[in-house]
Amino acid sequence: MRTFQLEIVTPDGSAYRGEAESLLVRTDDGDVEILAGHADYLATLATGRARIRTSTGDRIGALSGGFISVDKKSVKLVATTFEFADEIDINRARAAKERAEEALTRAKNDRDILLAKAKLKRAISRISVAENNHK
Amino acid sequence: MAGRSMNDIKAHIKSVESTRQITKAMELVATSKLRRAKEKAERSRPYFEVIRSAIDIIDASSEAKGSVWSAKSDGGPGLLIVIAGDRGLAGGYNSNIFKLAASLYNEGDIVLPIGKKALEHYRHRGTPIFSDSFEYADDVSVGRALDISRLIATGYKNGEFKRVTLVYTKFVSMLTQLPQSVNLLPFNNEESKTDFKENDILFEGDPEEMLDKIVPQYIGGVLASAVSESLASESGARRTAMNAANKNATEMIDSLMLSYNRARQAVITQEITEIVSGSEAL
Repeated sequence: MRTFQLEIVTPDGSAYRGEAESLLVRTDDGDVEILAGHADYLATLATGRARIRTSTGDRIGALSGGFISVDKKSVKLVATTFEFADEIDINRARAAKERAEEALTRAKNDRDILLAKAKLKRAISRISVAENNHK
Repeated sequence: MAGRSMNDIKAHIKSVESTRQITKAMELVATSKLRRAKEKAERSRPYFEVIRSAIDIIDASSEAKGSVWSAKSDGGPGLLIVIAGDRGLAGGYNSNIFKLAASLYNEGDIVLPIGKKALEHYRHRGTPIFSDSFEYADDVSVGRALDISRLIATGYKNGEFKRVTLVYTKFVSMLTQLPQSVNLLPFNNEESKTDFKENDILFEGDPEEMLDKIVPQYIGGVLASAVSESLASESGARRTAMNAANKNATEMIDSLMLSYNRARQAVITQEITEIVSGSEAL
C-alpha cells in the first residue's frame, strides 16, 4: 500500500514520526480517514481516538484538541495531548475521571462546567482507548 | 600588602570564600536544573516547528486570505510578549532580552511580561501591561499557556492590538543562548515564506470557526515551547555566569593568600631582626 509521511506533535514532544498507510481521526465534523495522496486538507480535532495504520499493524492513541493539516509533503497532526494506548496509565485516567465527575457536580459557573466536561471527556477517551487495546 | 595587616587580609579571604561557596552552590543548582530544562526544551521543539509550518500552509490558502488572522496590519498598537527569568544573577540573560524587546517596542504597544524580572522591568517603566498573571516563568504549564492565548486571540480579533510579537531566548547550546523574536500574528511572516504558493486547502467546516479554534492552539503551543526554551537558556546563562564568578573568586583568594604569606613572612623577618639586634646590644 502507498504510504505517506505522518507527524504527530504535542507540546510534550513528538509522539510519532514516520510512514503510515492510513490515519483515522475524529474531527469536529466526524471521523475522517486520511490515505496517501489526499488533497490538501485542514480540520480541527475533537477529543477521541486516533488510529494509525502502518505496514507492521495498527496503533491506537487517545488525543485531545488540536488540528490536522494535510499537504503534498506530509500529514501533520498537532494535538494538545496524544498518547498511544500502551502509554496510558489507566489508573491515573480512572482517578482523573472521578475527579472530573466530582468537579462537575461542584461547578458553579459556565467556565468551570466547561473545564470539567473537557476533563471528563479526555479521561473517558483515555480509558476507552486503553481498555480496547488490552482486549 | 604594605599597610594591610594580616588580620585584614584574613578577613578578606574569609569573605571571598563564603561568596565562592554561594556561587558554587548556585552553579550546581543551575547545572542540575539545566539538564532537565534542556530535555524539556528539546522535546517541545518539534511541536514549535510543525505548528509554524502548518500555519504557513494555512496562511497561503485562499480560505484564510481574507480572515483577520492573515490580514496585514498598517500601524496600530502591537502586543509584545516578553519572556524573561524569575531571578537575577544569570549573566546577561535578562538584560539581553530587554534590549531586544526595547528595539522592537513602538510607542503605544502593550506588553505581556512572563517571569518575575520581566514584570518588574515593565512595571517600573510604567509600560501598559496586558496581564500580570504570569509572574513566574517557572510555572507556565501548557494549560495556562492555552488560557492566556485565548485571551490574546480574542484581544487581537477585537482589534485591541494589531500585531503579536514574541520575544524569548533560544537555547542553542550550554554556552550559547540567543535572544530572538517571532511574529505570531498576523500570520504572514516574510522570513518563513518558503515555497508556499497560494493553494486551495479543503477546510472541514467553516473556515472562520476553524481558525478561531486553531489560532489559540497555535499561540499557546508556541508560547509554552518558548517558555521551555527560555527556562533552559536561563539555567545555561546562570551556570556560565556562576562558573566565571567561581573562577574569579578562586583567583582572588590565591592572590590574597600570597599577600597574606608575604605579610606573615615580613612579620617573622622583622621579629628575628629585632631579636638579633637586641642580643648584639647586650
